Amino acid sequence: MGRVSLLGYRPWQGTLHGAWMTPWPISRVALGMVFRRKLFWLLYLLGLFHFLVYFGGIYLFYQIDIPSLAGSNPQVIRFWTDTVRAIQEQLYMAGTKETYRNFIWLQGYVVMAVLALAGAILIGNDYQYGSLPFYLSKPLTRWHYLAGKFLAVALFVNMLTTLPALVLFAECALMEGWSYIENRADLLLGILGYGAVLSVSLGTLVLAVASWVRKTVPLIMVWVGILFFGRAVADSLVDGLGLDARWRLVDMWNNMYLLGSWCLDVAPQLESGRRFITRPQPEVWEAAVVLAAVCGACLVYLDRRIQAVEIVR
Amino acid sequence: MALIELEQIGRRFGNHVALHDVTLRLEAGRIGLLGPNGAGKSTLLKILMGLLQPTEGRGRLMDVDIRRGGIQLRRLIGYMSEADALVPGLRGAEYVALAGQLYGMPRGEAHRRAHEVLTYLGLEEARYRRLEEYSTGMKQRLKLAQALVHDPPLLFLDEPTSGLDPAGRDAMLRLLLTLGREHGKSFILSTHLLNDVERVCETVVILYRGRVIEQGRTEELRTSRYDRYRLQVEGKLGGLVDDLRAEGVQVLSATRGRRAVSLGPEIDAEIGENGRLPVSELIVLVPQDWRTRLFFTLADNRGVVIRGLQRDDEDLEQIFHRKIQETGTTEAVRHGAG
Amino acid sequence: MSPAAPVGGRPPILHFDRVSKWYGPVIGLNEVSFQLEPGITGLVGPNGAGKSTLMKLATGQLRPSLGVVTVMGKSAWSAEAKWHVGYCPESDVFYEEMSGRDFVRAIARLSGYGASEAADRAENALLLVGMSDQAHRCVRGYSKGMRQRIKLAQALVHDPELLILDEPMNGIDPVVRRDLHRLFFNLAERGKSLLISSHQLEELERLTDRVMVVARGRLLAQGTVTEIRDMFENQPLTVRIGCDRPRDLAGALLRLPEVLGVELGSGGMVTVRARQPQRFYRAFGQLVLEENLDVTHLETTDCSTQAILEYVLQESL
Repeated sequence: MGRVSLLGYRPWQGTLHGAWMTPWPISRVALGMVFRRKLFWLLYLLGLFHFLVYFGGIYLFYQIDIPSLAGSNPQVIRFWTDTVRAIQEQLYMAGTKETYRNFIWLQGYVVMAVLALAGAILIGNDYQYGSLPFYLSKPLTRWHYLAGKFLAVALFVNMLTTLPALVLFAECALMEGWSYIENRADLLLGILGYGAVLSVSLGTLVLAVASWVRKTVPLIMVWVGILFFGRAVADSLVDGLGLDARWRLVDMWNNMYLLGSWCLDVAPQLESGRRFITRPQPEVWEAAVVLAAVCGACLVYLDRRIQAVEIVR
Repeated sequence: MALIELEQIGRRFGNHVALHDVTLRLEAGRIGLLGPNGAGKSTLLKILMGLLQPTEGRGRLMDVDIRRGGIQLRRLIGYMSEADALVPGLRGAEYVALAGQLYGMPRGEAHRRAHEVLTYLGLEEARYRRLEEYSTGMKQRLKLAQALVHDPPLLFLDEPTSGLDPAGRDAMLRLLLTLGREHGKSFILSTHLLNDVERVCETVVILYRGRVIEQGRTEELRTSRYDRYRLQVEGKLGGLVDDLRAEGVQVLSATRGRRAVSLGPEIDAEIGENGRLPVSELIVLVPQDWRTRLFFTLADNRGVVIRGLQRDDEDLEQIFHRKIQETGTTEAVRHGAG
Repeated sequence: MSPAAPVGGRPPILHFDRVSKWYGPVIGLNEVSFQLEPGITGLVGPNGAGKSTLMKLATGQLRPSLGVVTVMGKSAWSAEAKWHVGYCPESDVFYEEMSGRDFVRAIARLSGYGASEAADRAENALLLVGMSDQAHRCVRGYSKGMRQRIKLAQALVHDPELLILDEPMNGIDPVVRRDLHRLFFNLAERGKSLLISSHQLEELERLTDRVMVVARGRLLAQGTVTEIRDMFENQPLTVRIGCDRPRDLAGALLRLPEVLGVELGSGGMVTVRARQPQRFYRAFGQLVLEENLDVTHLETTDCSTQAILEYVLQESL
């Protein structure tokens, strides 16, 4: 028997799975949109700069054989030994907990720039081009939608912080051998913990700011205002005017830093110039409370802002 | 099982009553949702999609409770919005596949089906283009594609022909009719274009000021007027109108080029002596036992040609305005009594 | 189509004399000539046919590359001509923060009226389009139909002789649409000329049976729908006839030389394909009398704007 099948409409028989899967395609599309931008890769390369410095530094720390380098002249040996120690002391490149903490701290600026870009593309575009009704008219709730966007933001954060930090950890393990992993396994947890703190707080914050401002340029201005201006204010209040250390809580990035330090079990210190010196800092729990409050406020705001009511006009 | 059953659904926003006492029972089929702006159409659609909770009443859509259904409701419905609702940067096929995944299709299936639906809707060539490059007509088809991708039993179509040129509109309406008739899709077509509804829908629901003022099959809503005819006549009208009157026919109106013409002696005033004779339309009320043959006899006597003759049944436009007027009058009476 | 002589010696309200317009290598309008008659004229054609170009030339926003456009004898490009023309564009052209009333007033001021007269005229125009009670609100919050009506109000504010309306019924709900139809009839009654483009041909048919068909940058037809339809001599007419004795009718019809085919349908309906409409209808009238038939329905199914648009496009291939 022959068979004719015209190019007509065909029914589809299959089972639809639940809404829990929907954040994945949302975040995949979001990643695609950001990865297509050249600016993103430029910023990412910039972000890799610190990583390369650390990568090289750690390599040097393990590999440098001062006598062979400097011959037998004791003065030259002394010079090189001092230099290496200085690098170690000032930049903490010995694969200790400070290494990772400082590395992630230094990534801060790039992370913020990347997130300003991502926020504008991920959320701002959805408002501008009316994609929000497209998403929310599907069988999912706004929380699935936000989860999808959040996953994408978290990936950007981790691509710049946790991931390179883990590579550095692997490098140290290669250099030092199995003992490094055995002795410093807690660092792995610490890195992941710091990464989680960053993802959660920056993710909610950038989503909230992006859905508040929506347009690219104002978004970047607000974002810069919150993070960079916050830091400037905190520094001038605490370091300049000598006010209570709690004033530093307005600096969000610093709060994450405190929590991250706690994860990695390092005494919180702050960079100043070339050296890491101890500066007055609020308590870790205070920073945690502030972060939790800010994230909570962001979630409440998002709940109100991403309204299904906007869909059918 | 009815497609949609609503019992006394109401929705208020603060003091504003958007929907009041909406009771509906709609069977599967092609449904037109009509009403002026602010009549509550979009509020109703939102409630049916589980995006908005009614403040009063209860209802079911394909046996799913509309108060608790939420996600489940939207899985049954393919929604085509009036606004663009695109995701910039994606290609046509990616966009439709994304919709499929959001509806809950497995990734591979969504991808395969996206191509199938786009081909069916005549977007085969445009599948790999970016959405920014789509024309209005293509966007409308694309929006329909993303609503059809998971083969839902019910479609909500919000002004699907807006912005289309005549050929595009005709094609879209034919497509909808095929989907409804041959592929058993039910849909609710919400539009201001009553002709679109007249062409594709079997059932209409008219909303006005948050209430359902009429629902039913289009055929049943239409008042048949066995005694009224529309006549299209080529030539001068004067003599014919006189003769019709003499036979007991009431001439209700005359129009030429859609403009009303006075029925008095100046009826032919604007017709020049030479050149083409225009076609005019008369609406007439005939006496009982009238034979239409008489129209032709009278026309022949006066040397004019009948080019058309139809019963003056109401069209949807007239039904719509009559219903709205009736409602206005009832409300006025009620207010007067209260 | 020979251009009609100027009515009563006055120059025509809008006259295109062999007008072409191109944008760089892209041609928008290709040697178009016509005179607009008073009353309502529909402008139809597919997307990209040149309708908007034609309207912009008529309102003096564009200058023809070749040929002359005059409004009441004055070049459409001149300020005097613009005084007589009102234009309702298709796209949204608002200051979103302004209220509808302020917007119309501002346009009136730009037309050269003093503050108080501008306010009066704006109020009057808003009343005509039924927006008086909502005009205090910010344009940002307007629905599509409300925006459309404000655009219409600003076109009416200086009481122009010629109104060029680009898709004025877009997004307008049926209730408001009926009011606007009344307004258009009213304006036509007062001797104004309206040129209205629309994609919604059935809607347009309720307003007027006089159309201009534009496609591929050329004016392909102008006249009433019936006139244009009758010109397609070789496109047989499709007529549906309802009758008490359909078989007798069908037999009789086949004897008419104009009839090309007859088909018996359900419900006593006969579908006829015939040439030469004018002769066919005359012959049909005779046939009804000779055969003693009772005709319940007689309708040319392809004498609509939609149908003639299709034929014009087909024929001009």
